[in-house]
Amino acid sequence: MKKIIANKEYTTLLRDKRFKIMGGLIASLLLVALLGGFASYRSLKKERDLAQKEARETWLNQGEKNPHSAAHYGSFAFRPKSEMSFFDFGVDSFTGTNVYLEAHRQNNPKFSAAQDSSSLIRFGEMTVAFVLQLLMPLLIIFLCFNSISQEKEDNTLKLMLSQGVSMSQIAWGKIQGFSKALAWIIVPALLLTFVLILIGTEGSLSADLLLRFALTLLAYAIYFFVFISLSVVISARAGSSRNALLSLLGIWVLACVILPKATTNIGASIFKAPSNFEFREAIHKDEENGIDGHNPSDKRFEALKKQVLTQYKVDSVEQLPVNFDAIAMQEGEKYSTMVYNKHFDRMENIYQNQNSVAAYSAILNPFMAVRNLSMGMAGSDYKTALAFQKYAEKYRYEMVETLNTHMRDFSKTGDWEKKADASIYAKIPDFDFKNPSIISVLRQNWVALLALLIWIILCVRMVSNLKNISLS
Amino acid sequence: MLQAKNLTKTYGEQTALNSLNLTINEGEIFALLGQNGAGKTTTINCFLGFIQPSGGSASINGVSVAENALETKKYLAYIPETVMLYPNLTGIENLEFFSSLAGFSYGKEELSSFLSTAGLQKNAHNQRVGGYSKGMRQKVGIAIAIAKKAKALLLDEPTSGLDPKASNEFSEILRELAQNGTAVLMATHDIFRAKEVANRIGIMKEGNLVSVIDAKEISANELEKLYLQTV
Repeated sequence: MKKIIANKEYTTLLRDKRFKIMGGLIASLLLVALLGGFASYRSLKKERDLAQKEARETWLNQGEKNPHSAAHYGSFAFRPKSEMSFFDFGVDSFTGTNVYLEAHRQNNPKFSAAQDSSSLIRFGEMTVAFVLQLLMPLLIIFLCFNSISQEKEDNTLKLMLSQGVSMSQIAWGKIQGFSKALAWIIVPALLLTFVLILIGTEGSLSADLLLRFALTLLAYAIYFFVFISLSVVISARAGSSRNALLSLLGIWVLACVILPKATTNIGASIFKAPSNFEFREAIHKDEENGIDGHNPSDKRFEALKKQVLTQYKVDSVEQLPVNFDAIAMQEGEKYSTMVYNKHFDRMENIYQNQNSVAAYSAILNPFMAVRNLSMGMAGSDYKTALAFQKYAEKYRYEMVETLNTHMRDFSKTGDWEKKADASIYAKIPDFDFKNPSIISVLRQNWVALLALLIWIILCVRMVSNLKNISLS
Repeated sequence: MLQAKNLTKTYGEQTALNSLNLTINEGEIFALLGQNGAGKTTTINCFLGFIQPSGGSASINGVSVAENALETKKYLAYIPETVMLYPNLTGIENLEFFSSLAGFSYGKEELSSFLSTAGLQKNAHNQRVGGYSKGMRQKVGIAIAIAKKAKALLLDEPTSGLDPKASNEFSEILRELAQNGTAVLMATHDIFRAKEVANRIGIMKEGNLVSVIDAKEISANELEKLYLQTV
């Protein structure tokens, strides 16, 4: 019974001009977004891989110099493009792409794509995710808003019911038929996405990536199912096709435009983040006065000196077999990093709280659920950008530490002239950042996962409960 | 075949149908006359199970509609006032769709012969319904009813908006169906058509079935007079 209705719905939809024109439009938008996104992904990936390689070569071939000078000379870390980021740019365009790694300073990633673009980028980019998350629901609404209301108006609903079909069978059949027709648009786009992923990874597809792709598919399938069944249910319950369309468009504006902006703004106003200036000031103050405010840097320096002298059982730094300057610098590095991490964690907490308002709104709003999951899976979310920043900071610390330790052991206090062998640079490993695993992405987005599950159950119930609707 | 026992439907204070008792036997055509809001459509909707009666019962082939709505659908066919159908499907495809919903799987030729029986010209069978006239769509509706081989046929003002020729053809088909044993309940405003085709005619007013007349015993003019007196 369902199948008969589904087939009829599918046939009539394929013959429908609305479907041909709008479907064709969306399909071509998807194609453009996919190819455009992939082209920019490839060129960015190439650029960054090359830049990383050059930075590494410059680092390795900087010639003999004092190790601490090398730490000041520093290096650059470039954030690699995630393999699926061409599918969903997420916040990639607004997060920094590279960090300058140097001694004494924890720099932020800089040079986001948005910095290089006109302010038009604020209006959103043409990505596959944009088309799937915002335009696809609109297409679904325009195709389905009158799916049942029109049948009421034309008396065909009564005719169908008089043939011995139940209302929920009709609704399920329609949902099935619409899904089948929409598959003509979505499936080719996703197949192309998969092919592009294969090209992008040169065929070396990891299980992690495959799982990310599969989960992305699942999230979007649920998202579209929610919109299709919501449209059919509202079409059945609305007094007229006109009312159904207005209600559905209202829901779309609320879910896809107003709520995401509102929840983000609410998050930002409840959990106020300090400005970058305040952030740096607070770190500076803590470094000067000590983390508790009672341990200024000169006192710390004296304490360290005393401790080192006792440790080596000597009276002055000149008698030390090691370079005390290096020890002091490393101690300073350790302290400033500790202070920086403390403040950074606080900031991260604030941002996390800000984002959580929007994340929790996913329970009410499937758009938020699919948006967060999609960029999480694509590795273009805020969390991945943060992971890069943390990894870069850790790398920087270890780089400086290695150099300071080397300086401590091979020269004496006050000797700033002795040059280290160039081979020391190779002791610092390659900068090799990997995206957080899918498990951590899922853990981060459990609300979104739960929300999608709730929405499936809700929609199934709403459709199955379509019994006593008015027939005129 | 079609039976209403004290069938009543109230909406709050308003009584749409008041204790209707009516039996329509196999092969009989019963026409319901009455003004808009007299309760004709309510009666049909009760038999279709689209409306839950407030009291009494409607049954088809001895099966109560309220209790076994899906089973009673097997015995009945229904043609609404305006049959819009699906404009993107051809006549045959529309018929095929509705027949298969009722559980029939006819071949193309059988479907085509149903359409011909209903009076639809052959060259229209494979054209999309979007280009059909109202009369042609009505014929597809009749074909849907014929293809269901139902024991009871419910019609809600089936001839409104049809030209006299189409209307006349329609009466012919109804008579044929009745001859084959179908019980027909038809709500109509067309006094002349009612007299022409029906065996019995009932006149309704404000939810009550006021009078039932044998169609053979009254002329069209007398029927009109009676109707005007009643309502």
